[in-house]
Amino acid sequence: MNVAATVARTAGDALRRARLIPRLWIGAGCVGISILLLPLFFPLDGKPHADWLQFFGRFHPLVVHLPIGLIVILPLVEFAGTRRQSFREAAGFLLQISLATCVVSILFGFLLAYGSGEIGTTVTRHMRGGILVAIELLLCLAVRPSWLRAQRSRLYAILLTAVLMTLAWTAHQGGSLTHGSDYLTRYMPATLKRVLAPSAVSSHPNSFFARHIYPVLDTKCVACHGTNKEQGGLRLDSYESLMAGGKDGMVIAPRNPDGSLLLQKVTLPPTDHRFMPAEGRTPLTREEIARIRAWVLQGASPDAASVPGIFIAEDQEQAPPPVGDYSAFIVEIRQMQQSQGAKLVPVSANPSDGLILRTADVAGTFDDAHLTKLQRFAPFIVEAELARTAVTDAGVETLSQFKNLRALHLDGTAVTGRTLGKLSSLSQLTYLNLSGTKVTSDAAAPLKLEPNLRHLYLFNTPAEPAPTADSGVRSIQ
Amino acid sequence: MKQHALCSDCEDKITPMDLPIPDGLKEEWSVSESRRQFLGRCGKVLGWASLATLFGEASFRHLAFASGPKPQPGFGENTLGLPHFAPKAKRAIYLFMSGAPPQVDLFDYKPSLALQFDKDMPASVRGNQQLTGMTAGQARFPVAPSHWPFSRLGQTGTWISDLLPYTARMVDDLTFIKSTNTDAINHEPAIMLMNTGNMNAGKPCLGAWLAYGLGSMNDNLPTFVVLQTKTNPKENNQPVSSRLWSSGFLSSEFSGVGLRSVGDPVLYLGDPPGVDRDTRRKMLDAVEEINRQTLAEVGDPETNSRIAQYEMAFRMQSSVPELADLSKEPESTWELYGPEAKEPGTFAYNCLLARRLAERGVRFTQIYKRGWDVHDNVVGMLPVLCQETDRGCYALVTDLKRRGLLDDTLVIWAGEFGRTVYSQGGLSQENYGRDHHPRCFTTWMTGGGVRPGVTYGETDDYSYNVVKDPVHVRDFNATILHCLGIDHNKFSYRFQGLDQKLTSPVPAFVVQGILA
Repeated sequence: MNVAATVARTAGDALRRARLIPRLWIGAGCVGISILLLPLFFPLDGKPHADWLQFFGRFHPLVVHLPIGLIVILPLVEFAGTRRQSFREAAGFLLQISLATCVVSILFGFLLAYGSGEIGTTVTRHMRGGILVAIELLLCLAVRPSWLRAQRSRLYAILLTAVLMTLAWTAHQGGSLTHGSDYLTRYMPATLKRVLAPSAVSSHPNSFFARHIYPVLDTKCVACHGTNKEQGGLRLDSYESLMAGGKDGMVIAPRNPDGSLLLQKVTLPPTDHRFMPAEGRTPLTREEIARIRAWVLQGASPDAASVPGIFIAEDQEQAPPPVGDYSAFIVEIRQMQQSQGAKLVPVSANPSDGLILRTADVAGTFDDAHLTKLQRFAPFIVEAELARTAVTDAGVETLSQFKNLRALHLDGTAVTGRTLGKLSSLSQLTYLNLSGTKVTSDAAAPLKLEPNLRHLYLFNTPAEPAPTADSGVRSIQ
Repeated sequence: MKQHALCSDCEDKITPMDLPIPDGLKEEWSVSESRRQFLGRCGKVLGWASLATLFGEASFRHLAFASGPKPQPGFGENTLGLPHFAPKAKRAIYLFMSGAPPQVDLFDYKPSLALQFDKDMPASVRGNQQLTGMTAGQARFPVAPSHWPFSRLGQTGTWISDLLPYTARMVDDLTFIKSTNTDAINHEPAIMLMNTGNMNAGKPCLGAWLAYGLGSMNDNLPTFVVLQTKTNPKENNQPVSSRLWSSGFLSSEFSGVGLRSVGDPVLYLGDPPGVDRDTRRKMLDAVEEINRQTLAEVGDPETNSRIAQYEMAFRMQSSVPELADLSKEPESTWELYGPEAKEPGTFAYNCLLARRLAERGVRFTQIYKRGWDVHDNVVGMLPVLCQETDRGCYALVTDLKRRGLLDDTLVIWAGEFGRTVYSQGGLSQENYGRDHHPRCFTTWMTGGGVRPGVTYGETDDYSYNVVKDPVHVRDFNATILHCLGIDHNKFSYRFQGLDQKLTSPVPAFVVQGILA
């Protein structure tokens, strides 16, 4: 209150000093200040109020961009004023209407929040930010005349900078309200994202929930059911709050998608007044609904990594880095193929997809020595088909230098696993087939820790003896 | 004296040279014969020249292709530029259920039909569809609900008939397409369309296209193998012929090689007594030399195919016995496939062989199982058919999966069309028949390139019309090609003035909804 009164007094003084039609301006100032003080008399209580409040309130997004534009252009015009006096005069006018429109926007914004009963930290922050912008503009208006007279010149510039910064912050809060808090970060390159926006759900970062359910809730629901706002007493910004439900009880019934309130609401006809997301916000896509349904059907687990029947492209290995162009080696590779019999076959017509080492027709004779000779082509080899060859543990050591290897078939070879630890140097390796070898579980243990090695096959080895009984088969009546 | 290959009319005839006459006269005759030969050849050359002009420049290019080195889909020599993009699957196994399995009894669960028993199917469902001669004359089309209950299984909760207890165990791994549909209502055109993309014979089948486009992964085995399942005489076995694995207008080395279901997988593959491998090699070298001369003179690409086939047979002399030797299979194999798999020619045996072929780098294996044509006695025959195939399908997919082969192998299960929901012939509580039905049928895929656990497409309450996401046979084939890294629109072969494609001429679309 003190601050507001001081500001009002300062502003009033400034206006009087400027001798600008005092009565009208004082009147306008009083209206403006009373608008700024609205939240003090009518605190946001989370309850919806009269409809006409919202009707006007909904013009807030329309009105709000006018002061934003004016405020952004103000420093430019002031700067231009150093060259031409007419700009300086225009800047004064700009500042005045910035303040006026800003106050109007605040009024509409308040009507929207108060009328719809929206509460939450982001709503509060956005509102306070808006008011702060207005106050700062008022201060600007107050110090500008002295700045024009070339006194205390710094203060005006500092205030103007503060206005811009407050504006940016406030606008971001507003954007978060309408578009969701991850609006800016959603399509951010992964490397940048890791630095700027660490994952919000950290307890099981690789779970299906964290990767595929939470982002849907975050973009489509959390704007109204989160820290920003808590409509219906429901928050959907964490696994715990999702499972806790809201005023109407549980919204997720594990294993019972049809009985889950959340799924019922998002699948209503969009014209239904209970349809979610409400108020014309972007509805969930069919794919997103299918994802949630499958997840609920499976038991709505917080930590399960995958859900059968649901495939999500990002779950697949990210496109591996392209390998270099092997065109320069073509003649050499042909010579090698003729002398050894083993083939280097392009993965596709695109050279950066790399080469496959194929030994199927010379499997019986292909051994470690042959493999050593291929080392010079190693950077281009992304897959080595060495099943049933004479390759041994020594060959595995050689292979550990094939840095771009993504898939390695060693099934049916004499590999014992003694040197498998060396394969940890292959950061791209996602597939390793050791079926039918003599690899023991001890030898395979280090492989199971490799995060990228998603497809490890140990069928019919000492590490994974074949199951003996084919149990659980229902007989035909 | 070597005779010209084109001069077929003078082969096997007694020539003047054989006659007991003075040598001087023979010489004179030989000169005159050359003249005659010369004139004859002149005529033929003129004929060929005019023919070549008629075909246009393309045929010359073709001849150059035929006599030059064959484009190997290998490193740096692959003139086809295939695969177009990095494929998810390197090879495919196609389980072909010839005769058309009834989707209503196996996969397409329609619980509401139970109340419709023996009621007439509404005419609006059938619309103006022309039926086969077998049921067109029926006075009524009584709805025959499936005789067997369905269960909802797996984490995906997929409905599946109790007739398929083994397939039921892997529903989460399979991709069902319930909306597959075709243009043909009778077996021969439908099975041709399914395999070659065209109802008329003469086009290359899927396997031949793959062999041509992607080439071999193991020079010691054919690129495309066809396995026929022994027929059960009680079943209604529609004929299956080599037209279905023909290479059509592609070189005949790309056609499917059938492995026999009884006795030796390949006849006369072993050397006869007294002929050792060296002798065989020398003989083949000599034959090849002669064939090459013919090729140089005539330029028929089929000669190239013949040379390749001789060489393949020679290599198969050692690779096929090893392939068919199941003695080293671990006990777990027999537990999975069942004892039937030890008997050559059974579906389970063929499934096991398909796995062994996949391991050894065979690009495309197609297993034919006949007998699904259940026009009558569905209740009697369907359990037999399911019992013959169910375990093999499950064993194959499971075996590929545990051995790490399913990641880059596409397994396809399909027939040529579906069967009607209404009964053909008499309908009773105990039995019914089902006629051909092209408008919808269920197929499944699994493995490299497709999403597991997906059910794609929907049919109406009578399993009669597709109501959502139809998948035409062409789309089905386009999707298979996509999984193997081929853009079906870019994969063509110029023949008869057209860029012929597996999926032409009507536009086809890859079914994005089932792709991994």
